[in-house]
Amino acid sequence: MMDRNTIKNTGILEQYLLGELSEKESTDVENILKEDDELREYFSKMEDDMEQIALENAISPPTHLKTAIFNNIEKDTTHSDEKVIPLEKTKRKSYNFAIAASLATLFLLSSGWLYNQWKETEQTIVNLQQETDNLRTKLVNIEGDLKETNDWYRAINKPDVVQLVLKGNEKSPNSAAVAYVNHQNKEVILNPQGLSKLKNNNTYQMWADVEGEMIDMGVISSDVEMIKMKYIENAESLNITIEPAGGNDHPTVEQLISNVIL
Amino acid sequence: MKDDLELIKRLQNQDTKALSKVYDLYSGALYGVILRMCKNEPLAQELLQETFMKIWQKATTYNSDKGKFFTWSYRIARNITLNSLRKKENLIQNEDLSVYKDRSSSEEKIDTKGIVGSLQKLEPHHQKALELVYFNGLTHREAHEEMDVPLGTFKSYIKQALKKLRESYKEELVIVWIIIEMMR
Repeated sequence: MMDRNTIKNTGILEQYLLGELSEKESTDVENILKEDDELREYFSKMEDDMEQIALENAISPPTHLKTAIFNNIEKDTTHSDEKVIPLEKTKRKSYNFAIAASLATLFLLSSGWLYNQWKETEQTIVNLQQETDNLRTKLVNIEGDLKETNDWYRAINKPDVVQLVLKGNEKSPNSAAVAYVNHQNKEVILNPQGLSKLKNNNTYQMWADVEGEMIDMGVISSDVEMIKMKYIENAESLNITIEPAGGNDHPTVEQLISNVIL
Repeated sequence: MKDDLELIKRLQNQDTKALSKVYDLYSGALYGVILRMCKNEPLAQELLQETFMKIWQKATTYNSDKGKFFTWSYRIARNITLNSLRKKENLIQNEDLSVYKDRSSSEEKIDTKGIVGSLQKLEPHHQKALELVYFNGLTHREAHEEMDVPLGTFKSYIKQALKKLRESYKEELVIVWIIIEMMR
């Protein structure tokens, strides 16, 4: 065994540091260093100095070298992995992978299917909504129509109501209108649908004859089913004439197409 | 200059990121050593690669109680380079002369890469002695013959060189300390 001073003086530590010693000599030095704190401190400083020299004199290797080294190590690692890992494990790994892959596929397919279902349902809901809207509109219209019809029906279907048919004369032989007169309620309702079509600038107008004088009962719109006319007291007859559009103050007697005595 | 034991632990656990860090820290220093020893850039690159492969594979055999990580890496680099040079020398002896000529010409070119840093401040014979063992990979025995001095003298050169180095580092520290003090 060597003592501390011998070691310091012989320069064996320097040789140990550089890696010049044989294995046995190295082990000897290591054992001594283990026991001797002071010597270890001395050696550690020497190491620091040597490292410093090397760092000061460093030469940067080309950058591609690092990549090459890491590629090699990667290869090395995967290679040794192949060697070490038993076949079973790789098999299980691939089973696991296969299971994971099939689960993923399954999930993907079901997701796609669900998405389709969802989209279809959404479309159906939109359609239903539209249909509901249409039906609601129709229903409102029908209700309106029904109410109107009911009103007309109630207005004419009374014992006090007198029904009069105004047939067209030779000027308008195909015309016919129905008037419903209620003396009790003082109402006149006319169904003008049977009247022949007129040119745009003409219209039918209704008159009441009171003691030889023709009194206006109103212009007859051609596009309605029923129309309420003015009730005139003490009327002796009802008359329909053709007048310029918008109606006239006095009847054009030559254009009288129908009259009925009350 | 304390070793990062955490980093070395990670390296020993085969963490490639740790190796990358170690490479960044030491590849230049080790390449400097290898290149000065073999004086041939393509070969030095090959040997550096080999060195790091070995550092990676043998990391678990490193024991921080026995010395610094760099010392351990340095020894690996040095051994790998010396082995390769020995093989090459055999080759040169057996093969034709042209190979030898190529080698000597590249040798001169690389030689211009001088030693820098604190080593430069040493007296020439101290500098030469350290350079021979440290950067040229000669053993003490070979180096004292190279310098043509007795082995004992050569050993004391190394010892004195290291002592001077230590003093110059201390001086640098003092200068740094003074600069820091002045900046306050």
